Amino acid sequence: MSNINGKLYAMNAITPMKPWKTWLLRAIFFLLDHIKSKQQDLINLSFIQFARWVIIPRNRFPSLSSTQRQESLTYDYLLFFSNFNGTWNQYIDAFSAVLSDGLNLIWRWSEKFPGAVPVTGFKEYIARVQFDTDYYYTAYPEATANDTKAAHIVQGALTTLAAHAATQTPEQFQAAYLQFLLTVQAHLGDTGNAPAVF
Amino acid sequence: MPNQNGRVFGLTFLCPILDDETLQISHDLQIRNYLATLPTDERSPFALAPGTHVARLVVMDDVIYVGMPAHEEHVKSKYLIFETNTDADLPGYLRALVDVVPQHIDAVWSHCTGYPGTADFDKLLAYMKACQIPTTFFFAAVNDKSLPQTLLALQAKRAVAEFVVEHQGMPSAQLQREFLDFYQSLQSLPYPAPGGKLPRRVIKTGGHNE
Repeated sequence: MSNINGKLYAMNAITPMKPWKTWLLRAIFFLLDHIKSKQQDLINLSFIQFARWVIIPRNRFPSLSSTQRQESLTYDYLLFFSNFNGTWNQYIDAFSAVLSDGLNLIWRWSEKFPGAVPVTGFKEYIARVQFDTDYYYTAYPEATANDTKAAHIVQGALTTLAAHAATQTPEQFQAAYLQFLLTVQAHLGDTGNAPAVF
Repeated sequence: MPNQNGRVFGLTFLCPILDDETLQISHDLQIRNYLATLPTDERSPFALAPGTHVARLVVMDDVIYVGMPAHEEHVKSKYLIFETNTDADLPGYLRALVDVVPQHIDAVWSHCTGYPGTADFDKLLAYMKACQIPTTFFFAAVNDKSLPQTLLALQAKRAVAEFVVEHQGMPSAQLQREFLDFYQSLQSLPYPAPGGKLPRRVIKTGGHNE
């Protein structure tokens, strides 16, 4: 069991919410989903490969058998799953420093959320509501979010260069190759080794 | 749209785990024991079946009490959480898993309430739909590329870096010929194994310690 696979860390967190607050949060997520500019800070941090929030209403925990005891809960629950690069501390620090307004907007509806700033209380809260992963798989364990973005930039430029390479004169190809280098030169770094996990 | 961001699907499942107090090893512990034996690299069931970018399985023992004045409560069942980021929606993704790694699906989910097995796909699909929780908000850093496209791009990135290093200062005619050969050989490279390590580049930086 590990929260880490290669350069990716799996975080799971669950927080209780009073049911009347759930609808406010759904509205906020709806706006976030449809106003893409609101996601720009998250995109720019560029260390999260995938993340999701899942609201489970208190009466929507799956019940699949008459022999299964039915849940009787007071709260709705907000599940958070993140797949990010870097350490737990780096992740929470970056979130607190850059995305505190967004985090407060999402988690203020959860019970006892202290706010994303100052970070110490925020980290204590996350540590309390986090639970560990039993099995974690990634198809590209040694590639960070930046590595995958860079790879797609290189692939796109390579395809463009190759499209006309065979029919160009050597001088034309040389000029096209120079443009290709200018496009990809910042994106050719090796992925490197993943951190050792003991 | 919940469950989807661009071309990537974020599927979330909450599957109640059987509770049998007569067992010496509880069902949730059996799930954990089995998951501990599963490889997480290119031998993983999620590597063998197509379409999984990132996936996790989590046994959730209980909800978490955050302290006063919140009210302490507990769930009556433990739950197996399956969170996956894939190229396909549920029917397509499930079909791929069932076709390639049914034994692992059965080994894990046989400890869950109401699990019908992989033999009847329609019943299995109905079961997974009953366990599926709509993803409320789903973020993907790269949401317009499939898994094969991503793996091939990572392979190409490495190959291009090596080509650029090795062909610096080359006359244009030779560069053009060698680029065409390089591109052709790149197209014939085998598809990279999902979940595997990338080959290391030999990088010499020329620092004073070398």
